[in-house]
Amino acid sequence: MSSDDHLKETDTEARFEFKKEQKSAFKSEKGLTEETIRLISEDKDEPEWMLERRLRALRQFQEMPMPTDWPGQPDLSEVDVDEIVPYIRPDIDTRGGEESWEDLPEEIRDTFEKLGIPEAERNALSGVGAQYESEIVYQNMQERWQEKGVIFCDMDKAVQEHEELVKEYFMTKCVPPSDNKFAALHGAVWSGGSFVYVPEDVTVEMPVQAYFRMNSEGMGQFEHTLIIAEENSEMHYIEGCSAPKYGRFNLHSGGVEVFVKEGAHVQYSTVQNWSKNTYNLNTKRAIVEKDGTMEWVSGSMGSKATMLYPCSILKGPGATDNHITIAFAGEGQNIDTGAKVYHNAPHTKSTIESKSISKDGGRTNYRGLVHIADGAEHSSTAVECDALMFDNESTSDTMPYMEIEESKVDVAHEATVGKIGDEDIFYLQSRGLDDDDAKQMIVAGFIEPITEELPIEYAVELNRLIELEMEGSLG
Amino acid sequence: MSTQVHANLTEAQVREISESLDEPEWLLQTRLDALAALEDIDFPAVIQTPGRKWTNLQDLAFEEFVDPLTAAEEKDQVGPDEVEVLSFAEALDEHEELVKEHFGSIVDPQTNYLTALSTALFSTGTVVYVPEGVDAEDVTIRTTMNSRSLFNYTLVVAEESSSVTILERQETGDHVEGKRYYSGITELAVGENAYVQYGSLQDLSEETYNYQLKYGATDTYGQVDIVDCNIGSRLTKTSVEADLNGDGSETKLVGAFYGHDDQHFDVDSRVWHRAEHTTADLVTRGVIDDRARSVYEGVQDVGRDAWSTSSYQRENTLMLSDESEADASPKLIINNHDTEASHSATVGQVDEEDLFYMTSRGVPPQLAKNMLVEGFYVPVLEEIEVEELREDLQGRIRDRLAGRFD
Repeated sequence: MSSDDHLKETDTEARFEFKKEQKSAFKSEKGLTEETIRLISEDKDEPEWMLERRLRALRQFQEMPMPTDWPGQPDLSEVDVDEIVPYIRPDIDTRGGEESWEDLPEEIRDTFEKLGIPEAERNALSGVGAQYESEIVYQNMQERWQEKGVIFCDMDKAVQEHEELVKEYFMTKCVPPSDNKFAALHGAVWSGGSFVYVPEDVTVEMPVQAYFRMNSEGMGQFEHTLIIAEENSEMHYIEGCSAPKYGRFNLHSGGVEVFVKEGAHVQYSTVQNWSKNTYNLNTKRAIVEKDGTMEWVSGSMGSKATMLYPCSILKGPGATDNHITIAFAGEGQNIDTGAKVYHNAPHTKSTIESKSISKDGGRTNYRGLVHIADGAEHSSTAVECDALMFDNESTSDTMPYMEIEESKVDVAHEATVGKIGDEDIFYLQSRGLDDDDAKQMIVAGFIEPITEELPIEYAVELNRLIELEMEGSLG
Repeated sequence: MSTQVHANLTEAQVREISESLDEPEWLLQTRLDALAALEDIDFPAVIQTPGRKWTNLQDLAFEEFVDPLTAAEEKDQVGPDEVEVLSFAEALDEHEELVKEHFGSIVDPQTNYLTALSTALFSTGTVVYVPEGVDAEDVTIRTTMNSRSLFNYTLVVAEESSSVTILERQETGDHVEGKRYYSGITELAVGENAYVQYGSLQDLSEETYNYQLKYGATDTYGQVDIVDCNIGSRLTKTSVEADLNGDGSETKLVGAFYGHDDQHFDVDSRVWHRAEHTTADLVTRGVIDDRARSVYEGVQDVGRDAWSTSSYQRENTLMLSDESEADASPKLIINNHDTEASHSATVGQVDEEDLFYMTSRGVPPQLAKNMLVEGFYVPVLEEIEVEELREDLQGRIRDRLAGRFD
């Protein structure tokens, strides 16, 4: 099948680790000052209110302490924001992204070719946005969706062209910068990302995808994604990300806000493959109205340290949340991830399914919070965490928190931790598989509940990433 | 960080308590060190989630209810002849070396603010000494607190291949106007191949603030079971913990509580697997009614060297009223992959279908509900070996149920 040729390439170096020359049209100074923020805002030709929001977020960032006292959290002492270049505009002519891959500079086009994005766009997607460093460089969506009033554009362009919507929804009611230190940082220096608007009753049948690539050493990427799904609409957003590995740290601190209106359905899928020098500290949150459904699907394979807890606020009666997450931590990685759900209305429902794999000294932690507010009668939540450990250098933690203020509820949490079963391996070996293949097959089975939620291309991609991670020590 | 508590506590008071018990110098020194440490140490850890601290110990005005020099209690310490059940003073007289060896060896007096306070001020206690090879049942320690505050200490030493079952219960006697405080530390040293079941029934008055830490440590093939039952008190912070230090050792940490009115129960259950082939089973069942609030933290910590570990945890909370609140956090910390570990936690109401079944068989609804609540405690009751504890816990649950109306 030629459509997934790009998936067959087995060499990680060739797939993700390649580096391009670090060219840019505009590059901010290292560090975070009011002056830098003003320069970024000016370079983007932003309206005054956005500059003000950035500056307010900067002040909040400066006032807030670093999170250091969460039990078992990743060590963030290396993350010195003054050592980060927060903004790099690549050398392209068009703001808001080219509509044709051909119009991109060769090194950028080649980057996304290697990552398989144009190929995927032709086969399985309704639209694609591609970000290189701090800016979207390519943005396109099939015409039939544009005709139905669907908007899928660069976030910076949305500030210009859909100002009223952005002004109303951008970091106001969903993720305010005051939420946490890195949300505040994000609010100050955000750049790029996607704006998605799906009108009432429109179902976008194929997913749209955004891909985020960091190429430069020592940079920070802070894209913002804002999704508004109007009543009874339906859409699936996929984000992918990667970067080549450098000696010093990179920082990714994205912000995602999703508004799921009455009866709407949004799936947000992430395949995270940042290089192992990247700190990935994101804030993702959805507000779900009456009878709406939010689905978070995440695979976290990359990064040196991840702290990410996608959150759903079930605001309307009958709202539903589904979380499916998988974390894979190899040598030197600390993947601290989980889910947060607030049941604020009656008859709301959530299910959280978490799988984690740790090996070669890697550390995974499921950290989750389920809150059922007083009055959220007849709500139910089911949390299930399973962890697989490969060796005795690795660590697997599970730290769920449940706060229940309402009695007419059904709350269940379950977790298991175990090693990969010797008997299972023996069985597969007796059927002719070698040890490595047997382990890979067991892992593939372990994560199947996640992969089956993804379009086939991404399921294959996820499996391949896991295989690549496994190869390191199994060989 | 510390607070105002020690403002009305002085070294002279601590010396006075120690002298009145005719204590050796090393114990006085341990008390004084604990007193001095109050300046620098924290309250016991409580869970914090965004916007909420699950139990706010800092805000308690301890001066109001700590009155170190007027401790008064009635104590009944009985057991079969093969074991020695001694008051703390007697134990110092007869077995000073034994006490010195174990006192503070399992619970560091300076673990937190409240353990240090308890160590500095305790005026009553019990030592249960079970010599090698002795099997004993039904050691019973009954404490009735008559003063504003009471600090208690219990030490159980079970030597090689011995076994013992113990019940320790706390009640309040004479009425005292205003808030009261009870604090108890229990250390359980379980020798090679020894077995201890230590059960506790806390039934203090509902003006009493209660802090207890019960901690067991096992040698090879030892087993320590702790059953912690909480009925009384205004606010309870209780922690039941076990260090599985010996290969092949085992623990069952069992908890039961029933909160009503505006009672607050903060219950911790923690096990540390530090050796090979260790097994832990953590079971907690609680009911909350009226405006009561429960907080549960369970920790199963499997150390790097704890090969072939089995560790299980179950926590279930039943909510009988709309105003009650339940928080739960069952945690797994796993550093060895050769582990079979699981935990589960549920919060919910009496099952509608079960109720329907019983009422359709002619059982009046109120009675049916009470029977189901009683039945909810069966997994805990089944673990209890001391009959007095099992019967009295059941009795207290029945009293509570009889006193409520839907």
